[in-house]
Amino acid sequence: MNEMSKNENLDIQIYNFAYLDENTKRMIRRALLKALCIPGYQVPFSSREMPMPYGWGTGGIQVTSACLIPKDILKVIDQGADDTTNAVSIRKFFQKTANVAVTEKTSDASLIQTRHRIPETKLKEKQILVYQVPIPEPLRFLEPRETETRKMHALSEYGLMYVKLYEDIAKHGHIETAYAYPVKTNGNYVTDPSPIPKFDNPKMNNSPAIQLFGAGREQRIYAIPPYTNVKSLDFEDYPFEAMKANFKCSICGSSDSYLDEIIVSDDGKRSYICSDTDYCKEQTKLNSKKED
Amino acid sequence: MKQNFLFQASNISKYYGQNIGCKNVSLDINPGEVLGIVGESGSGKSTLLNCIYGNLEVDEGDIFLNDKSKTILNFTKISEPKLRLIQRSDLAFVHQNPRDGLRMNISAGGNIGERLMAIGHRNYGEIREIAANWLEKVEIDVSRIDDKPSTFSGGMQQRLQIARNLVTRPRLIFMDEPTGGLDVSVQAKILDLLRNLVRELGIAAVIVTHDLAVVRLLADRIIVMQNGNVIEAGLCDQVLDDPQHKYSQLLVSSVLQV
Repeated sequence: MNEMSKNENLDIQIYNFAYLDENTKRMIRRALLKALCIPGYQVPFSSREMPMPYGWGTGGIQVTSACLIPKDILKVIDQGADDTTNAVSIRKFFQKTANVAVTEKTSDASLIQTRHRIPETKLKEKQILVYQVPIPEPLRFLEPRETETRKMHALSEYGLMYVKLYEDIAKHGHIETAYAYPVKTNGNYVTDPSPIPKFDNPKMNNSPAIQLFGAGREQRIYAIPPYTNVKSLDFEDYPFEAMKANFKCSICGSSDSYLDEIIVSDDGKRSYICSDTDYCKEQTKLNSKKED
Repeated sequence: MKQNFLFQASNISKYYGQNIGCKNVSLDINPGEVLGIVGESGSGKSTLLNCIYGNLEVDEGDIFLNDKSKTILNFTKISEPKLRLIQRSDLAFVHQNPRDGLRMNISAGGNIGERLMAIGHRNYGEIREIAANWLEKVEIDVSRIDDKPSTFSGGMQQRLQIARNLVTRPRLIFMDEPTGGLDVSVQAKILDLLRNLVRELGIAAVIVTHDLAVVRLLADRIIVMQNGNVIEAGLCDQVLDDPQHKYSQLLVSSVLQV
């Protein structure tokens, strides 16, 4: 038996801290710094093959890997929940490769990787929120040429983005876009907030936390530094509206958190629960305290 | 240089490798004037049009626009953002095939509104009202405002493209065979519409065509091109009634009479 296999922490021995090698992390950090300097600008980076398929958050994982330090406390959420497949597998991945502490409590975490939600609990300074991004280019489905979209960003030619909103109102009578709702970052670049519900858009504005976005397949990183103005695009006569299902959570009774709709019986009975599991637990605890 | 010109191109040359696109072409356009460019296929008409619109980089020559604030801009010297801004405010370009100039998967209203939103309009109600007005002007039923151009006939698509281009009140509009590919009665309708709009709004226009009837109807002056060179230029009626160059004579005499 050789030295390696005797070691209990076999996995940590085989992989570098947080899986990626130091040079790769340095490359990603360089891209992150550039992204933070130019809020909303998509910085190309040479995305690596990760030990999981594209679409599972490979961009977010690479950003997290480049940011993690041993004393970090990591939280991973998928659609707001800590216990869904994507969240569980990524959390385990970093426990294995970086041996960092993990938590489900938003307020305890120093780094939060998220898929499609921003936690309900207000983020603080010194927290980092890492988004997994499938399509970083907000103009993608309006203008297929990447050479052209880059030029449009460079020259702030965003008329086309408004055409999309115009079409929404013309078709549905209101802005129908409910997720990946385009925002303007720092009054300059139009940015895709990854497919978070538009309910979460206001949370991006002036946030004390650092917001980092990683798109693995598309090889792009962008960022919103703390306390940056983030404005959702709209028309003067059709202002932006953060909306959610107009119900109460059937577990904690909260009416101000974003809700998931669940079909609970064969005859189509519906129930609504908080999508943010940590927030829901907190609220339930608060409620039971009140009752005592 | 004249003081009150709108647009001037001097000694434009464009080469495609060894081949000549157009050579040493000069032209100037006064406010509200319609200039026709005629010639056979491959004579460099479209190349010239794309060069002076700023779509193609010229190899030699200068292009000047006297902009709204009376400053003279040289297209070959100004920055790309500035050029693109001018292209979508002061200038307009109508393609021969409306599919090149329209967004086929966006409603008619959205197509007209795009240029407005591009120059900063942010009020949905206003944009829609202006779009509806323009549909009326180009004789498309306002009830079709939310229909996609793919459901329109060829003539309607072309009229929509014209509306989309004129909505920001450009001062100079470039048209590349605007009636090509349309049947004769639709052609007549579009020409009639163009003539009225151009006169009514006082827009200057450059029309490239191989159809002499089109220039006879619309243009004040024409230039005749062959093999990338301008071989004759002058007042429309003068050139068409009394062509001097051999090729112009051939061109005029080969028009079919009914």
